Amino acid sequence: MLPLLALLILAAAADPAGASEPGIAVDFDTDVLPILTRSGCNAGACHGAAAGRGGFSLSLYGGDPAADYAAIARELKGRRVNPGRPNDSLLLLKSTESIGHGGGPVLEFDGQAHRLLRRWIAAGAVRSPSRSLIGLTVTPERRTVPVNQATPLRALAQYDDGTERDVTRWTSFTAEDPAVVRVEADADPAAPTAAALRPGRHVVVARHRDRVHAVELIAPRVGAAPDLSAVGRANFIDDHVLAALADLHLPASPPAGDAAFLRRVTLGLTGRLPTPAIAETFLADRDPDKRAKRVDALLASEAFVQYWTHQLAELLRVRPREPGGADAQAYHEWLADRLREGAGLDSIVRAALRATGDARENGPPNFHRVGGDPRGRAEFVSEALMGVRLRCANCHNHPLDRWTQDDFHGLAASLARFKAGSVVRPDPGAEVLHPGTGEPARPKLPGGAYLAAGDDGPEALADWLVSPENPYLAEAFVNRLWKALIGRGLVEPADDFRATNPATHPALLKELANDFVAHGYDLRHTLRTIALSAAYARSAAALPGNAADDRFLSHFPRTPLPPAALADAVTDVLGVGERYGDAPPGTRAVELADATAASLTLDLLGRCGREESCESTATPDGLRKGLHLFNGPWLNARITAPNGRLRTLLAAGTSPEKIVERFYLVALTRKPTASEAAHWTAELAGISDEAARTTFLEDFVWGLLTCDEFVTNH
Amino acid sequence: MISAIRCDGVRRRDFVRVGGLSALGLSLADLARPAAAANQTGPEPRAKSCVLIWLDGGPSHLETFDPKPDAPVEVRGPLGSIATALPGVRFGECLEQTARLADRLAVVRSMTSPLGEHVFGTHYLMTGYRPTPALEYPTFGATLAHVRGSADNVGRTALPPHMAVGGFTGAVSGRGYLPTDTTPFVVGGEAAGKRPPGQFRVPDLDPYAGLDLPRLARRKRITAALDRFSRAGDADAAVGENPDLRRAYDLIASAAAKRAFDLTEEPAAIHNRYGVGNGNGPGAGCLLARRLVEREVPFVTVYSSGWDTHSNVAALASRYPGDGGAKLPALDRALAALLTDLDERQLLEETLVVVAGEFGRTPRINAAGGRDHWPNAFSMLMAGGGVSGGQVYGASDRLGEFPAEDAVTPADLAATIFTLLGVDPARELHTADGRPVRVAPDGARVLTDLLA
Repeated sequence: MLPLLALLILAAAADPAGASEPGIAVDFDTDVLPILTRSGCNAGACHGAAAGRGGFSLSLYGGDPAADYAAIARELKGRRVNPGRPNDSLLLLKSTESIGHGGGPVLEFDGQAHRLLRRWIAAGAVRSPSRSLIGLTVTPERRTVPVNQATPLRALAQYDDGTERDVTRWTSFTAEDPAVVRVEADADPAAPTAAALRPGRHVVVARHRDRVHAVELIAPRVGAAPDLSAVGRANFIDDHVLAALADLHLPASPPAGDAAFLRRVTLGLTGRLPTPAIAETFLADRDPDKRAKRVDALLASEAFVQYWTHQLAELLRVRPREPGGADAQAYHEWLADRLREGAGLDSIVRAALRATGDARENGPPNFHRVGGDPRGRAEFVSEALMGVRLRCANCHNHPLDRWTQDDFHGLAASLARFKAGSVVRPDPGAEVLHPGTGEPARPKLPGGAYLAAGDDGPEALADWLVSPENPYLAEAFVNRLWKALIGRGLVEPADDFRATNPATHPALLKELANDFVAHGYDLRHTLRTIALSAAYARSAAALPGNAADDRFLSHFPRTPLPPAALADAVTDVLGVGERYGDAPPGTRAVELADATAASLTLDLLGRCGREESCESTATPDGLRKGLHLFNGPWLNARITAPNGRLRTLLAAGTSPEKIVERFYLVALTRKPTASEAAHWTAELAGISDEAARTTFLEDFVWGLLTCDEFVTNH
Repeated sequence: MISAIRCDGVRRRDFVRVGGLSALGLSLADLARPAAAANQTGPEPRAKSCVLIWLDGGPSHLETFDPKPDAPVEVRGPLGSIATALPGVRFGECLEQTARLADRLAVVRSMTSPLGEHVFGTHYLMTGYRPTPALEYPTFGATLAHVRGSADNVGRTALPPHMAVGGFTGAVSGRGYLPTDTTPFVVGGEAAGKRPPGQFRVPDLDPYAGLDLPRLARRKRITAALDRFSRAGDADAAVGENPDLRRAYDLIASAAAKRAFDLTEEPAAIHNRYGVGNGNGPGAGCLLARRLVEREVPFVTVYSSGWDTHSNVAALASRYPGDGGAKLPALDRALAALLTDLDERQLLEETLVVVAGEFGRTPRINAAGGRDHWPNAFSMLMAGGGVSGGQVYGASDRLGEFPAEDAVTPADLAATIFTLLGVDPARELHTADGRPVRVAPDGARVLTDLLA
């Protein structure tokens, strides 16, 4: 008697929810389905695949309980469950591999899960939902803990009847990268733990039925915490960045000098190199406020408008769809006008979403021509404006986030109400078929309400996107602003926000977004805030203790210049323009309204063609680019051009040393250091013949344009 | 540029989050590891080079190496089958020349994969790993380039160690997590009609007017000096010589390497044998592959598109009366020419030739007279260096739907190919942040029956 009693007590202890205790009903939606998810039965690789597996199809991670119940209890003439003889149910025989099962054994015979399923079957295998799952809390959300030290994981489920229970036992915990995190759940499934195996920030994904959450483990670098007390704090950004550095034991590199800051911020805000005249004035200026003043001057410049029009055009995938490209031209000009007048992102988005009319004459209607059909538009809108890859929810509920098929097709249905030809016209009757129901999808806001019959889809969508309670637009956009200045988004990729892909600095992202909204969705305000933070002003040179960091701003990351900015920088250094397609001479690469304008240079540099999101443009072929740098006309034809900078300086009788110094200033925004100057002087001293000196200078200019310091922002 | 978008609309970026590497704390010891790894001893290489003829889109196993002449017509399809040099083994009717070489070939008829989508299937077949969002794996060629590239290959050839002829799949980057210099160098990827038939033009191989090699060498030296100066005082000394410039210079400087691309050096008889003039078939690619292998390039992918035959499989044999350039006859001719030509030059025994695509086709002909994606059972072929020829390994069932015996996964195939090339499948390479990753997945079997 005693051993049996002990066993019962043990079972109850391991199952605080009590669902496996005899006498408490087993609920299909909230007890059975979590078991199937925990065991992987309804994963995409098994029965959760769109086509099912072995003739048995479940919704992905139990997203559709009614369909799953039908599949389990009704299909196959009910052989999957046999209430009269529960042990003969295929659901039990297969899952324990008592009979052949392609997926092998997934449940232990007479284990807790097996017993629970058996009780559910014995009780009649009914689905009479007594409660529904409304929330999941996973702890810890984020924890700083030394390498190799185990952290207990816990999951609590909330139900609509007001109850909450511990569902740790019925939650799977998976390391995003198993090579760096060890999750231990076998010893005691009710008390799993996770331990980081290497320093850094790691993610463990917790999944309970169709809910997913991320657990962040932050493992400090081994060694003493660095002293960060003397590191500057300019605004709220620094509070967040320094907190992360402290957590990770990363020392901060010292501040960058004025010259490095000027080059960095000028490239970041305007996509251009500072002119030598501005550099000389700035470096000589004794005003303690000169950096803020320079930032303000850059934000007020026409170069800022050009560069950010280019950035917005990449985000909105502006490209010609009409012969001659008048449509792209109109759209480009409209965006430039909005930026020039200081329009907020909210008003730009609202105008684009509501626009109708002739896309060849007006910019905004072109918005609806991206993506093609309404589903393509839904992908585009979710990626560009929400930073979310909603397209995963086209065929099934998003496996790594909360998005459902209803969200995706509902968004497509609300965007369907335009006929997007050369002239964009309202099309109130247009519908989108929901593949899950076979019926027209009901227009719906992502994660929100269905639209009423009379509601205008895009209007409601615009209201929803720019409402202050909506985090998506602002967070996605400030993340892009951050990425444009710093080279890496707080969330990467920038169009893949989801619960399981947390930001490097989650609280900073929120605060930046709130601040952006509070300041009227003003790009300039947020860019200014970032540019004036102490984190932004840090040196790009790593310290021995922070060299491995590429995302926590212990030092400023070196980032390749965007293709258009690099092409323009080369033009500015050489003093000779480049032609792009049939754009007028003198047109800069960032000014191109037509992203497809013929240009081998931009192709080799890896420009985004804007057919898809520019987030994932492939890295260019390095060998092909190298061959072109050496032997192509891009650099060679212009280094020696008679009206170019080098020939002009030579014609004016400038000394070779002065020419070297001049090119340093133009290309790198600094003068040669003493050792650099000595190096080049020594090289030149060995050459007596004037023609040979000229060819050496040509080679020097070529080297300057291909060196790491020139082709990156740092 | 080959579009990454395929008939089913899945894009590479849907599953790739490059790196996904959250770890921090790369130490000097980690940096030293890849070099140390080069000392790992692998199996004795049976082949020095590999030519992968990639049939992009997923070739039908029923029309190539696994015909079902006794199956009902809706499975058998509109094309017939022929006897081969191996008694009792039949190929599709178009593979006449290849059939005569069957005693030299190893055909696997029991390939199986769960991934019936182009991007995923290509990733699995070309890397041996199923795709995951956390990491993009390198293709065989990148791994081989990496392993061979470090020590023993220096100075052997200026040609890139990983080359793709006629294009490359848009489904994977090729290099995966390995350094950029393992990316396949694509030759002849231009759209059809952009280059003269039977020729490959590689731009920018010769110095610009007024420049010469010493000038280019000086330029490279100046760039390196500037890079050294700018990293003074930076603890992240990861930049060495700019690899793009080094590789480009080495190729420009090697006349012998550059001649590889000039197919006009080959006599007309060779052109005819490969079917070089045949539009965009793999003939010219296979001939260039032979010239690259002769120059000791470790891995060449010959890219052949157009195998995604959702409609009218009969067009694989002939698109119009008298058509000699359809997919199957062109493949037959090019493959047979490559094998016999390599053999005549005593190169076949040190060159592994692999013919594969990302999956097979549905055994039942669809309403459009085509076959759709079918990864559950398909075929591939190996020949040459270290392969035990004259055998059919595994079998599909009566209708070609599932493996009937000796099922082979793409992971097994990877382990086997690496073993043939002298790379231990269990060998560990390292991601950019020092994480160790096996060359072939844990659990992958080497198909020892296929090894000579």
